[in-house]
Order: sequence, then structure tokens, then C-alpha cells
Amino acid sequence: MKFKHPISRRTLLRGAGAAMALPLLERMLPAAARAAEAASSARRLAVFYVPNGIHMPKFLPTGTGTEWELTPTLQSLAPVKQDVLVISGLANDPGKPDGDGHHAAGTAAFLTCTKAFKTEGANFHAGISMDQVIANYLARASPTRLASLELGNDAGRGIGNCDSGYACPYANNISWAGPRSPMAKETRPRAVFDRLFSSGGAISQAEAARRRAYGQSILDFVREDAQVLQRQLGVTDQRKLEEYFTGVRDLEKQVEGLDTAGPACGTAPPPGEDEDPRARTKAMMDLIVLAFQCDLTRVATFMLANARSNKVYGFLGLSGGHHAYSHHQQVQANFDALARIDRWEVEQYAYLVRRLKETLEGSGTPLLDNAMVYFSSEVEDGNAHIHKNLPILLSGRCGGAVATGRHLRLPGVPLANLYVSMFRAMGIPGVNSFGTDSTGELPGFGG
Amino acid sequence: MTSRIPHRGTRGWFAAAGCILLLCACKGDSPPEARVRPEVPEPPAEACQATSGDPGTVTLHRLNRAEYDATVRDLLGDTSHPARDFPTDDHGYGFDNIADVLSLSPLLMEKYAAAAEKLVEEAWVRPGATPRVCELDPTAPEPCAREILSRFARRAWRRPVTEEEVDRLLRFLPLAKQHGDPPEAGVKLALRSVLLSPHFLFRVEKDPDPSSTEPHRLTAFELASRLSYFLWSSMPDEALLQAAEQGQLGTHQELEAQVRRMLADPKAQALVANFAGQWLFTRALDSAEPDRTLYGAFNEPLRQAMRRETELVFQEFITGDHKLRDLLDAPFTYVNDPLAAHYGLPPPGTGDAFQRVDLTAHPERRGVLGHGSLLTVTSNPDRTSPVQRGVWVLEQLLCSAPPPPPPNVENLPPAVSPDMTMKERMALHRTLPQCQGCHLLMDPLGLAMENYDPIGRWRTKEVSGAPVDATGDLPDGTVLAGAEQMRRFVKDDPKLPACLTEHLLTYALGRGLSEDEQCAVREIAATAEASGGRLGDYILAIVLNDFFTSRRGGKEAQTP
Repeated sequence: MKFKHPISRRTLLRGAGAAMALPLLERMLPAAARAAEAASSARRLAVFYVPNGIHMPKFLPTGTGTEWELTPTLQSLAPVKQDVLVISGLANDPGKPDGDGHHAAGTAAFLTCTKAFKTEGANFHAGISMDQVIANYLARASPTRLASLELGNDAGRGIGNCDSGYACPYANNISWAGPRSPMAKETRPRAVFDRLFSSGGAISQAEAARRRAYGQSILDFVREDAQVLQRQLGVTDQRKLEEYFTGVRDLEKQVEGLDTAGPACGTAPPPGEDEDPRARTKAMMDLIVLAFQCDLTRVATFMLANARSNKVYGFLGLSGGHHAYSHHQQVQANFDALARIDRWEVEQYAYLVRRLKETLEGSGTPLLDNAMVYFSSEVEDGNAHIHKNLPILLSGRCGGAVATGRHLRLPGVPLANLYVSMFRAMGIPGVNSFGTDSTGELPGFGG
Repeated sequence: MTSRIPHRGTRGWFAAAGCILLLCACKGDSPPEARVRPEVPEPPAEACQATSGDPGTVTLHRLNRAEYDATVRDLLGDTSHPARDFPTDDHGYGFDNIADVLSLSPLLMEKYAAAAEKLVEEAWVRPGATPRVCELDPTAPEPCAREILSRFARRAWRRPVTEEEVDRLLRFLPLAKQHGDPPEAGVKLALRSVLLSPHFLFRVEKDPDPSSTEPHRLTAFELASRLSYFLWSSMPDEALLQAAEQGQLGTHQELEAQVRRMLADPKAQALVANFAGQWLFTRALDSAEPDRTLYGAFNEPLRQAMRRETELVFQEFITGDHKLRDLLDAPFTYVNDPLAAHYGLPPPGTGDAFQRVDLTAHPERRGVLGHGSLLTVTSNPDRTSPVQRGVWVLEQLLCSAPPPPPPNVENLPPAVSPDMTMKERMALHRTLPQCQGCHLLMDPLGLAMENYDPIGRWRTKEVSGAPVDATGDLPDGTVLAGAEQMRRFVKDDPKLPACLTEHLLTYALGRGLSEDEQCAVREIAATAEASGGRLGDYILAIVLNDFFTSRRGGKEAQTP
């Protein structure tokens, strides 16, 4: 392996996946200082979605405030208990469908707190998602290479209907740039890695100028094509073309931001093409940590599986599908199966939280200290499809804005209020409402 | 058999079965919901005659992953499936080529840009690759560059290009020169632009007046693209483009000749992979996970073999002389030795290679309902699911699917005794008032298939050792004794042709069909059946219909 700059963040981060030790970081300074300082104390958000709800009796702590104990499902959070805020009681009423379709409607409302328009396809309509509000703000304040990173494990089966008359974009996406713009997610760790780190090594000033000029010219050309076309299209088609313009603008930012230094970090070994869901999930968590660590993005969302997933957790010794178990009908064997799945899900979340705690920013503080890592599902209970009392974990203090190490009980409070508080924590001024039912900030969020 | 499953929305025996307004007992925040099938009155025949033939609107259609791959294959000779790295397309109405849900995210745009650069670089150096139709003279590159770019853009954009468009593309030459690069660098930038243009990434169809609801015929080039993406999931070839240029797509005869020609082309395989794969659920085999302890016989080679069987059978229907409805009881199939052994058929002795076999002596394997692929994907990992199998038949073959189950009762009720047979367990559905209305319809169809285990093996005993009772009792007293009778019952259902049409038309247009378009669907079905009822007849009936050959603009439909 050749190092162009022996002391660089790239060197530092070689072998990503291993936790980084502070003394090593200090030795690498000052070459890393510029990037590190810019990134240090930057606020970050990760969202971890699980489908089909959670078996709450084994999830919810009994005590509240600072007097609470980890339940069986939450055991894996023991090393980071003081960094976790458990919130119970919140309701996401906009997730209720018209008739059936609780999983798709609940998932569409998961980060948007907006009721999805019931359709199999035509005129689908949800709302902008909380992560995109944050990504937009952060990208304006201090751009990173990617404004946000959308990840998931499920590519989708691509057959039949997604959920009782609700179109598949509702079930397959939690991140929405706008009411009609779901943010497609990457489902292959290798593709994520390539996207983050394959933009080549260091280049000369002249080469960078050339690439910028060429890239810009191509974008100018195709934008002109689209503008001419737009004048000849009806409203629905114009809306589709709007997505194209957004894509061009995003590409433009990347072209403009083309750096002579190459990627700030990034010759970690790429993840394999392993199909095992355990390996894939872990790889995705590592990639989120790496993307944060290299300050390539500050917002990441992850869908452990798509809405209404009927994945078989064979490696947990279970033979039935997740969705089938979630229709537990009060049968103990189903509760047991769900608890096992929930526990595994929380373990994956805990892994992400722990990695963010172990990984230090340039300033020497754990990434987790300036971040929020949010965990929840589209429903509470998969059997009755309840959209109240959602299972919520929020880890990380976000620079002190979140008072962690507690269990906050807020029965009936809109979920959207949590997002309003999260906007505040991220430093976004002036956003006092969100979705369709927020009433203000979450009481007790900051302690 | 006199009684039939009612047509979409007719009351007939549904009302008799007591499925009027059954309330479910719910806890939580869900209000009690009615368990009825949507009441959509079937249009009377005379009303259908009066329909205007409004072709509806088709939203600007982004190429999906399959279409992108097939298009770059035909355009640049690149068979590396670059779209594999693109995010998965969402699907709607059962297909992933539905324009409304084919969004273009910034992530995808980034992938398009990367793919365009790579595709052009590789095509440029590939011997005999299409873009380089002449040698660029370093001192006077423009004539050749013009030739390269106008030819390429015409094919990539699937229509003639204007002088002005080519002039704009040529501006990349001076740009390259300005940065000290040779002319070929400029041409390559222009080629990348062609591949990143909305004219390539979208299937553009224009309306003279975008706000008018007055139907108009598609241009010859728009029609050529509709045709090629329907049959090939790809761009028009030279013959089709030339036919469009020469105004030859205006008559039924010409269109029919093109359809016949295109179906005979190997590229019509796209119908197998992209239409049948979704209609018959073959694609779901990828994610099927039968329980390993109970069904360890299911392995990767078998998964592949099951998929291949259904593909090969459907492939025969593309050009063969079979009626489309014969898919239900085709007296032949394709197996290799392992699949034959799995089915209990005599092995053809061809090892892993597939062999067409006659099923005269094995009626249980006739038609797609005897395919391991379908039988597996409509089962639960650990047991058969008469409900899923029944719903598949109702939804994919008869377009009469009941509404989904209410909350709290979505799965089998707990068995009273673990020794209960599947038939006895299914009978529990009828003890729950909120379930029986719909299950009276689904369960009998699935129960008649109980001789197939969750991985499609023939069986006479359930896992518990109890004998399989493969009889389904329809609400009117008709008994379907086994899969053969059930197949015949479905095949004779008068709703079958319209339902086949509905799925095929949805795929052909890339849009969902509304209830008030059922008349047109039935008209196309009747035409197709009258001309022979083969897949080709259905396709032709669609292609010749106003739905396919014309479009209209219109104001956006209402959303909240």
C-alpha cells in the first residue's frame, strides 16, 4: 500500500471498523486538523427503523426518570445506558391509514408525521421527512459531500401489492425530500462503500479545474434539455422532471465541491458481498460510522427491513416470518419469537451507538456526544396495528441538548413534537411545528 | 358447476355468504372496519358499448433498472448490467415499470452520471462498438463528430434529432480543445451528455396541449418506444425506428407485422423476466426461505430450477400456439433431473439441463399451479398457506381479491389442538364472523391445492401424518376435489380473460387502471379471445387499442 501523504486522515482511517484511539489521532495531527476541526462538534443524526412494531412488555422499562432498569430486550444497551433516552407514550396519529394498510401508512408517516394519500401508485403523496429537514439545513450551513445517506437491507420482492392499496414507495422508504419524492436507499453495503470512497485519489489543481469545467458543461447541457422539455409537458410530467432538476443540482454541488485532495479519508477495506443479514447489517452500521467519521455526511437513515417485512430470522432459531409472528394473537410462542427478534434488532442499534461512542472526532470527543441516534418502528404492536405508545430510543446528547440516561413517559404526546425538539437540538432555528399534528417541543427533552 | 365467483363487485353469492357488513372487534386505535369487498358495480354491457375510449394519461416514464440495462445493451453493446448498482425501483399495481412510482432520487442521478462516464469510456475502446462510426481527424474533427453524435443521439433518444441539438452537442469539441484535450475527449463528453439527458432517461411523450383532455395519437416514434419497451423492455431497433421514420406504424397491418417480428426476436425474453416474473410471482423466489428443518430439500439449485421451469414454460407461450389460459393446465413442462426427482416425475436423464416433458401421465404437474415456484412463494416458511394460494388465484388470475384481513386476526387462529388438519384449521376462519365473509372465497381454492407441500412436492399426508384432505367447499355447495378440478374451475371462469388483460395492459402502459376502464379491458379481452386467445393475440389486441396508440394531457388528479 502506498501513502501519498504519510500523515493524513486517509492513513488514519485505513482499516476502518477498528475503533480509533486518541493518541494515534494526535500523532496524525496537524495534517488531519483542518478537516477534523471543521467536522468537530458538528451535529449528526442517524435513524434506525425496524418494521412490525415491538413486543412492548419486554422492551419498556418500568421505572421513569433516571430510575429505570434495562429490560431483557434492551440488555445490549448496558454499556451505553447513560447515553440513552427511552421515550414512551408518543403517538403518531398521521400514521393511521384509511381502512387497512397500517404498515405502509405508518412507515410513510414514520419520519414525516404526515398522512399518506391512499393509492397504489398514481398521485402518491406523503410529506418531507424529519431527516431531510435536518439534512437541508446542515447542507446549507456547512456542506458535506452528501447531504444525507439513505440505507436499508431490503431491496423488496417486487411482486404483488405492498400493503392494502398503499403504493410501495410508502412501504420501502422512510426518507422523503418532499411529498412526492421518496429518497431511494442503497441496499448493498459494497455499493455504499464505492459511492463513499471511490472518487479517486489526490489530483492536481489543473485536473480538478478540468473536471469541474467538464462536469459543469455536461450539467449545463442536460439542464437546457430539461428546460426545453419542461415547457412542453403537463403538470404531472413536470413534477417528474422536477426530480431530475433536483438531481442535477445535487450533482452540480458535487462537481463544484471537487477537491484536489481527494476523499478526506477512505481506503478502508470494502465490505464483502455477504448475503447474511447479520454481516450486511453490521457492514451498514460500520459505513454510517465511517461516513460520519470522515464527515462525508451528517445525516443517515437505515431501514433494517421494509415495512411489513416477513423476513425469516433463521439464525435466531425461528422458522416463521417476522410479520406473521407480529400478528401474535396473544399467543406466548409468538411473543417469545418477537422478543427474540426485537432483542436482535436492539443489539444492532446498540452496536451502532457503541461504535459512535468509541469513535472520536478530531477534537477527541466521541462522535456520539454530538449526535442523536434514533430508533423506532411504524407501529407499537403489530397485531392490533397501534400507532400510539411507539417504541422509541434516542441515544447521544447532541452537544448537550438531550438529557440522556432517562426514561421519559409522555402518553399521547404527538411524535412530531419529538422531531420539533430534535430540530432544536440540531441547532435549526425557527422550526416550531412539523408534520400535521405537532403542538410544540417535547417536555423534558433537555432535562 | 353453475355458480361462479362473482365478477368484481357483484353481490351475488357474496351477499348470500353473509359478507355484507361484518364488523371486527378491534383493540387499540383502529376503529371497527367493515369487512366487505369493494362495491364496484360491474358496467352493464350496453354501458360498455358507449365508452369513448379515453386513453387516459401516462406519466413521464423513467427507465427502470431492467429497461436501462436492456437499453445500454442494445445501444452500446454493454451487457454488464450497470443498473445492478442502482437503487431498487419501487413498484405499484404489481409491476416495477409503473411511471408514477418511478421516482428519480439524487442518489439515482449520481449513479446515472457515473454509469454514463463508464459506459462511454468502455464503449469507445471496445472493438466494433457502435459510437465510433468514423475516424476523427485531429485537425478537422467536426464532420466525423457530427456523424457520430447525430447517429448516437437518434438511437439513444429514440427519435430524430434536430440540427440544433447536434450543434449543441458539438460544443464539447472546442471545450476539450480549450483544456488541451484531443477531439475524442469532446465527443466522449457529448456522448455522456446524451446518456444523462432527460431524453434518454425518460420515455418522453408530448401532448400538443398538455392541459387538454382531448385524446390524440402518439407520434410514430413515441409509439415505437411504447412497443419496444412493452415487448423488449428496451429501445426500438433500427427496423422499428426506420418504420417509424417512414410512417409505417399507422396501420393495423404494419403494427401487427412489427409485433409478430418483435415477439419472434430473442429480446422478447423481457416478457418472461419482467412481465411473467412479476405476474406469476416468480421473482419472489429470490426471497423464499422454506424452513430448513422441515423442508431441507429446498436448496439453491432447486430454487434456480423452479424459476427456470416457469420461465421456459412461459417462453413457449410467447410464440407458441397455446392459448394464454392454457398456462393453467399446459400438458407439458420443463424439468431437469433434480427438479423431476423433486416432483416425482421420471428424470429425463439430462442432468442439470432442462428438457421439455409431456405431462399426459402426470396431470398434477400441469400448468403454473403445479410449478414448484408458485407453490413455494405462496407458502409460509413452515407450512402451506391455503389463504395465500387462494388469494394468488383470485388476484392474479381472476382480479377478484378480497380486502386484506382486519387487524388482530391476520393469521391463523391458534389451533385448538396441534393435531388439527389444515382443513380443520381453515374451518376456524368460519367461526370468526369478521373472517368468514372473505375466507369462504379464498380458502376453498387454496385447500384444493393441499396435495402440494410448501416446496411444491406432491404429498398425501400432512406433516402431522394426517391424510391430506384436498377438497375445497365453495359457498354454493360445489366441491372442488383436488387441484385438477380447481384448475378447471378457474380456467372456465369468465373473468379470466379480462384479468389476464388487466395485468398485461397495466404492464404495457406502465400505469394502473381505474375501475371505469373495465369496459375497455373487457373489450380488449374479447378481441384477443376471438382471435385465438394466445399471448400474441392479447398483446396485439392491446397494441391496436386506442389505449396504446393514443394519449391525452389533463390536469393533475386530486390529492389531499
